Amino acid sequence: MIKRFNSLGRKRVPRDCVSIEVVDGEPRTFSAHIDFKNHNWDANGTVVLEATCAGSSLVQRFDCGTVGALKQPIGLPLNDLHGQNVFFSLKIIDPSQHIGRLLGVAENIRPITTGKQTVSGRKGILPVEHAPLGQELWKLEYRDHDVFLLVNQDVPSLSESIRSDPVFFSLIYPQIMRQVLHRAIADGAETDEDDDRWPVLWLTFGRKLHPDHEEPPAHTDGEDVIDDWVEMVIAEFCKLHELKNKYVHSGYGGN
Amino acid sequence: MGEISQMRLRQFNQAGVDAFSKFLTACRENPNERVPMELAESDEHTILISDEIFVEPREFSTRRDAADYFHRILSPLSPDAVRKDAGMWTWLSLFYFDQICPNPNGNRKVRNDYTYLFMPDQSRHFYRHLLFIAWQVKQIASEHNRLFLDSSLVTLDKLTTEVFKRLYLTRIPCVFELLDRLYWDRRTNRPAKGIVSPHKISAGDLMHRLPTRIRQLEKTYDLQSLNADQLLEILGNEFQQRAAESNPQMEFILE
Repeated sequence: MIKRFNSLGRKRVPRDCVSIEVVDGEPRTFSAHIDFKNHNWDANGTVVLEATCAGSSLVQRFDCGTVGALKQPIGLPLNDLHGQNVFFSLKIIDPSQHIGRLLGVAENIRPITTGKQTVSGRKGILPVEHAPLGQELWKLEYRDHDVFLLVNQDVPSLSESIRSDPVFFSLIYPQIMRQVLHRAIADGAETDEDDDRWPVLWLTFGRKLHPDHEEPPAHTDGEDVIDDWVEMVIAEFCKLHELKNKYVHSGYGGN
Repeated sequence: MGEISQMRLRQFNQAGVDAFSKFLTACRENPNERVPMELAESDEHTILISDEIFVEPREFSTRRDAADYFHRILSPLSPDAVRKDAGMWTWLSLFYFDQICPNPNGNRKVRNDYTYLFMPDQSRHFYRHLLFIAWQVKQIASEHNRLFLDSSLVTLDKLTTEVFKRLYLTRIPCVFELLDRLYWDRRTNRPAKGIVSPHKISAGDLMHRLPTRIRQLEKTYDLQSLNADQLLEILGNEFQQRAAESNPQMEFILE
């Protein structure tokens, strides 16, 4: 298996170095607490926080001083960001070069506490949404940070059935997993990334399920290797949730 | 649409969206299907947005004409409300239907629903709405926008979709100036040829090479802080060559 590595000199800033609170208002404001603890970043590194919303092209940038002299953002306005899904990136930039090189990054940081105008944390790894799907009952939609299970808005009971009804669940979820895991591998994500984008979360989920907790293959490992890993994860998922038994006991499995 | 006079700005409710959607289906079957303009002011199908915003019948010869017009009339509304208002953009599609889906000699060709029904939460469709994208281009790129606005309103060109479907591109502040330098051919005063060929990858093209290269660079550099000169510098030779080809004056300087 080819192991991917970051050869660019940039390091990941651990997520626990920053905690963010977003407060309701017009405009909303945010405060952040940054603490690099005993991590050994260059004290001259420039620190910035960037905020954006899912679906927005706007990025608001906030100067947080340097690693050695941090300016903690307190009550700063998120003027032009209105979406509920606000997320942040923390960057440490080498100021000695005329084109700013990244020394470290933590991406896709969600606020820990929020008001009603903002979503905090995440809603599982497969949030469900209603959508106009014509004659199609469900489909997956891959967005920047989440993969959504879209269910037909014209069938109101479907979103509940699809999650909990043993018949729907046993027929649909293995196929959903197959699709998402293949796509996550193709995305090139790694399970040790400090990131909560869907490919990372799904591959971490797959690794935990795999009978040998084997790392997911790289997209360059070839179809056979990828198929083997995905199928082992799905078999384990079906076994864990006893999908065949649940289907049979639901009344559909009779002769 | 000669007999239609100006109207106060409205938005479709769900019944209005459904009725308009049915009309689109019928019109695909029968290109001479009558445009149901009575829906536009029906209280059963629409909700008034503002007493003070009027839309009027107009002929948009380019996407820029539409962008300028919508920016002017929608300026009293918050950009975020405009960006998310599925009912309003879908209502505008009906109001300007003859503009965005002309009927030459009774041969009207209705395209996919998302061309006329605005779907702001659908990441693969929201930028394909013919009227919304005109407003959105000018909203995000108030300058350096001729690649996207000096074109027909009736169809959505590949160049526009290839850029606007990628939020990681449109979030870079200098990207529109860069795109203009790279892909606007000053000799012909048109977009350069061969930059969005689906099956052919060419050096420095927009469809394949630029997104790949930006994805690589964003792992190393703080792209948010760069100007167009700096970004072009780190993009490398194939893009500098492309810029020189598009701008003969620059080629002369390089020689």
